[in-house]
Amino acid sequence: MDFLIQLFEGFKTIAPSIPYIINGVWVSLGIALGASLIGFVGGILLSLCKIGRVRVLSGLARAYTSIFRGTPLILQLAIAYFGIPQLFKMGDVSPLACAILTFGLNSAAYMSEIIRSGINAVDKGQFEAAKALGVSYWPAMKDIILPQAIKNILPAMMNEFITLTKDSAIVSTISVTDMMRRSQIVAANYYLYFPPMLVSFVMYYIIVLILTFVGGRIERRMRRSD
Amino acid sequence: MIKAEHIYKNFGSNHVLKDVSLEVKKGEVVVIIGPSGSGKSTFLRCINLLEVPTKGRVEIDDQDLTKLKPKQVVKVREKVGMVFQHFYLFPHKTVLDNLIYAPMKVKGLSKDQAVARARNLLEKVGLSEKEDQYPSRLSGGQQQRVAIARSLAMEPDYMLFDEPTSALDPEMVKEVLDVIQSLAETGMTMIIVTHEMGFAKSVANKVVFMDDGQILESASPSDFFASPETDRAKNFLEKIL
Repeated sequence: MDFLIQLFEGFKTIAPSIPYIINGVWVSLGIALGASLIGFVGGILLSLCKIGRVRVLSGLARAYTSIFRGTPLILQLAIAYFGIPQLFKMGDVSPLACAILTFGLNSAAYMSEIIRSGINAVDKGQFEAAKALGVSYWPAMKDIILPQAIKNILPAMMNEFITLTKDSAIVSTISVTDMMRRSQIVAANYYLYFPPMLVSFVMYYIIVLILTFVGGRIERRMRRSD
Repeated sequence: MIKAEHIYKNFGSNHVLKDVSLEVKKGEVVVIIGPSGSGKSTFLRCINLLEVPTKGRVEIDDQDLTKLKPKQVVKVREKVGMVFQHFYLFPHKTVLDNLIYAPMKVKGLSKDQAVARARNLLEKVGLSEKEDQYPSRLSGGQQQRVAIARSLAMEPDYMLFDEPTSALDPEMVKEVLDVIQSLAETGMTMIIVTHEMGFAKSVANKVVFMDDGQILESASPSDFFASPETDRAKNFLEKIL
């Protein structure tokens, strides 16, 4: 039972720093939100390139996806924060901006595959019906196909957002003070590891539960037209 | 006038249409019948270039569609409404939004104009009270009537019907055929692919019998149904009547 007492004492010791850790959640969520916006827009553009008839664009989009999915995110992050600024003599870059951009570009690769499958799942007749009404390709895509596609892939996109939120913990490696990083800082200050890590652990899990719940609600609302 | 001349269509090595020609004058109602896989639907889809013919010309009002750029083809399609076997209503839009979308987007109608036109058409197909519903809440027959109204909202000069009642439960066939019939009575130029022989007989000015990618007969409905000339047409009629 010794360890329980030790744990309790540990929490008492770090108590003043607990709000500091918890507030890191906004950094984590901010990164996930910013990245998923970039990922969503980028994913749509990439998926349109992939299904389009312009060979060069679809080739480039495929290569992009392949590279971003084929290398570790933590390495992409390191290249973006340490490698590229040094190579191009950019001086100090904002770690947060770097994190959001890298996560966004990475997420775009995954998102484009999700969106592409969503577009392909929409009945081909929808396009034909729009065509037969004299609607041209882009308006039909924007107003008829994409809304249906996005509705179909909403659960998958919510999953992507949850993944981003959790994976954002690796931005701690480029000194962004997210929840993970804050736990490490507190741990180092007090030389106490378990309590601050547990705070983060529980917080991440709560956030994921909330996001899952919100996702379910949105999904149900979108099903109104079914 | 719609004029299709020597249309060929291949899907790979599969020759679906072999030299099909047809002329439809203003105000005419042409019904195309024939066994499944005879190329009826493909031919219909060639007329508004949903399928691009491998060879041959399609003329609408003396404009050769096969020579037009894609942008111009889109323009011509405004004149040609099409109704599909599976309706293809936009499921994420309400009935009213289905009807006003293309007129606003393509013809540049104001919302008020489009809504007025849509309500008028919904009344004609007997679905005024459904304007706020989503398509999934409607029966097949109702969906198809909305689809017809949606086509008419573009005020087309021609209408193409691709087996409009084939996906319907039997008790819903009549309500859709009645709408098409009354449309015919307004003088709309139409090409209808159907398996409803009674309907063909009553609505058509001309019946075209297709088999194996070719037009085998083209006659007035009374002549065709009373005394088909080819054995294949006789055979077909015997099987289904």
